[in-house]
Amino acid sequence: MTAPDACCIGIDLGGTKLAAALGDAGGALLHDFIEPTDARGGLHVAEQLVAAADRLLGMEGRSRTRVNAVVIGVPGVVEPRSQRISQIPHIRGLEDLDVAEYVSDRLGTRVELHNDVNLAMLGEHAIGGAVGCRHAAFLSLGTGVGLGLLLNGRPFSGATGAAGEIADLPLQGLPGGVPVTLESEVGSLAIIERYRRVGGTAAATVRELFARVNDGDAIARGVLDETAQRVALAIVSLQVVLDLERVVLGGSIGLRPELLCRVELAISNLTRRPIRIAASELGDRAGLRGALWAASRALTSVA
Amino acid sequence: MATPVSNVTRQLSCRTVFDALLQRSPISRAALAKVTGLSKQTTSEVIDTFVRQGLVRPAGRTSGNVGRTALLYELSPDGGHALGIDLGARRLTVALADLAGRVLADRSEPTDPRGGAWVLDQIAHLADRLARENNTHPSRIRSIVLGTPGVVNPRDGTIELAPNINDLGHLNVVSLLTEKLGSAVVLENDINLALLGEIWHGCAQNVANVAFLSLGSGVGLGLFVNGHLVRGENGAAGEIGYLPIGGDPLMAESRAQGCLEYQVGAAGVLRRYRAEGGVVATTAVEVFEEAAAGESPATTVVAATAHLLGMAASAVVAVFDPQVLVLGGSLGGRPELATRVAAVLGSLAPRPVEVRTSILGSRAGVVGALSVALRRLHEEFFGGSELATALPLRLPPPRAA
Repeated sequence: MTAPDACCIGIDLGGTKLAAALGDAGGALLHDFIEPTDARGGLHVAEQLVAAADRLLGMEGRSRTRVNAVVIGVPGVVEPRSQRISQIPHIRGLEDLDVAEYVSDRLGTRVELHNDVNLAMLGEHAIGGAVGCRHAAFLSLGTGVGLGLLLNGRPFSGATGAAGEIADLPLQGLPGGVPVTLESEVGSLAIIERYRRVGGTAAATVRELFARVNDGDAIARGVLDETAQRVALAIVSLQVVLDLERVVLGGSIGLRPELLCRVELAISNLTRRPIRIAASELGDRAGLRGALWAASRALTSVA
Repeated sequence: MATPVSNVTRQLSCRTVFDALLQRSPISRAALAKVTGLSKQTTSEVIDTFVRQGLVRPAGRTSGNVGRTALLYELSPDGGHALGIDLGARRLTVALADLAGRVLADRSEPTDPRGGAWVLDQIAHLADRLARENNTHPSRIRSIVLGTPGVVNPRDGTIELAPNINDLGHLNVVSLLTEKLGSAVVLENDINLALLGEIWHGCAQNVANVAFLSLGSGVGLGLFVNGHLVRGENGAAGEIGYLPIGGDPLMAESRAQGCLEYQVGAAGVLRRYRAEGGVVATTAVEVFEEAAAGESPATTVVAATAHLLGMAASAVVAVFDPQVLVLGGSLGGRPELATRVAAVLGSLAPRPVEVRTSILGSRAGVVGALSVALRRLHEEFFGGSELATALPLRLPPPRAA
């Protein structure tokens, strides 16, 4: 039996921001907050995760002993059994650290790491736009690109936890015919770079670029069309491999409606088979809600 | 609705005994009780039932031990038969197995080029002949699985996208064949079956997470994870002929046949060979043979084909992260491709993945069909309806051919 004040914690650890949430035994959200990720990386970040958990517990006046599970999403590959992190370009010093064990030892509770986009998929499946789906994907487009999968009704992370690491997805079928990879084409840095290259006025961020699109800047619109074309190629590739019921778009770029409508158009030109795509219902909180939900499930199965 | 506990317990006992018989025949009652952990009385009751049903038979006595010898039991070869069918655009292969999973015979002949109903007649005729030649009546065939190119709709069993066999898509293949063969026929995509064949008897035994990439007249993919095929929402998972790789995906041929398949399918290989000025080879297989002999322009065409297949493989690896990637099919199964595909993968994918070549070759599909037919047969005889999905039955271990 779980104690009446049992609780669970979900954390979405990003390259620039950390979001943390406290839930009750059923996973209902009690408190949450966002703070900048400690740029020093490594142990400082591990320690920040512990502090975040303590801060949440302090808000509700609960002790560490009441926490039954902590689930943390990280922007990298997590090997499911060893919990080792790899391919995490945006936070340094975590690959050589057993983060799960460190946080678990400090908090005295069970800790699980997952890929952040896999948790976003889980969140959408649990309480978002993919409830009831058996085959779905969460495609995150932002600084990096990532993919979370649901196959046969269950989260799927592949043989080594690297399923959906589509930064290196080869893209062909573009004018010129030269194969490129997805992240090198649609990551936010690549988009800004392309805008500059084709003569756009200085736009430092993707947000500014989208503002120009809405102001009618033809160059910015052209760049967005090209980006959408590449995203559409990736989604068609994904679809012919897995035959999904729907693809949920998330991340700072993926959530933009200006992109979504262009991607839909590009897909309809590429394939006769309709593909249902939609923006994430949970938005930039999909990863956090997925983490919290996973933590509450771990708690239920333990109880 | 609640099931009486005694009934489920009984079904569990039957399956436990069956599983032990499958893995350890011939075996005595005492040994069965020991390995299953069931009581001697329960074991005996189950064995008696199986014997009465004709599913199990005595098979000699123990020898060499001190004391009285014990009667041994095995699955009865006459208990029922399973039929696997691999229907390709060019070849039709049929194989027959007994209850214990012994392959009694297989037969292959060119697919009737007239297609449609002619092909269904051909299948029925071949099945009938195979049964009679092996001294069993066709009515003893109780489970039939047919592998076919194209997308098998999981809801109604119709075939979509089967461009390589005339008129097959217009027919209700399941009901027509079921009527002809007198036993329920189940359809499955041929590449999914080739994958299951490699998992049962081939190069992917005991691998939890496998992708099977097939290249022949078409290109396709089968995915397997934790005991299940990944078929996708409409049964169309793995239709990678439509990957936007190898050409302009907006071109009419790409949209009709699939961008990748238009380039790397057998017809595409031959077309590109001719475009390069090749005149010697008249089939895609011959292009590969020319290349193996170092002849230009076949070498160029095969290198380009391997490169495109490697790019397709890296898309599969990025999305699916398989433990093992198996290459198969009449072109994909050629051993020289595996090294080249692995090299492209190594340069594109950030993590190593093991590339293996199918060892069942052109028989992979029919062996896979047989594995599913056998599993369904066992399910029917020993499964227990309440347990069917919760506890999948195991297949018999591979035997020396």
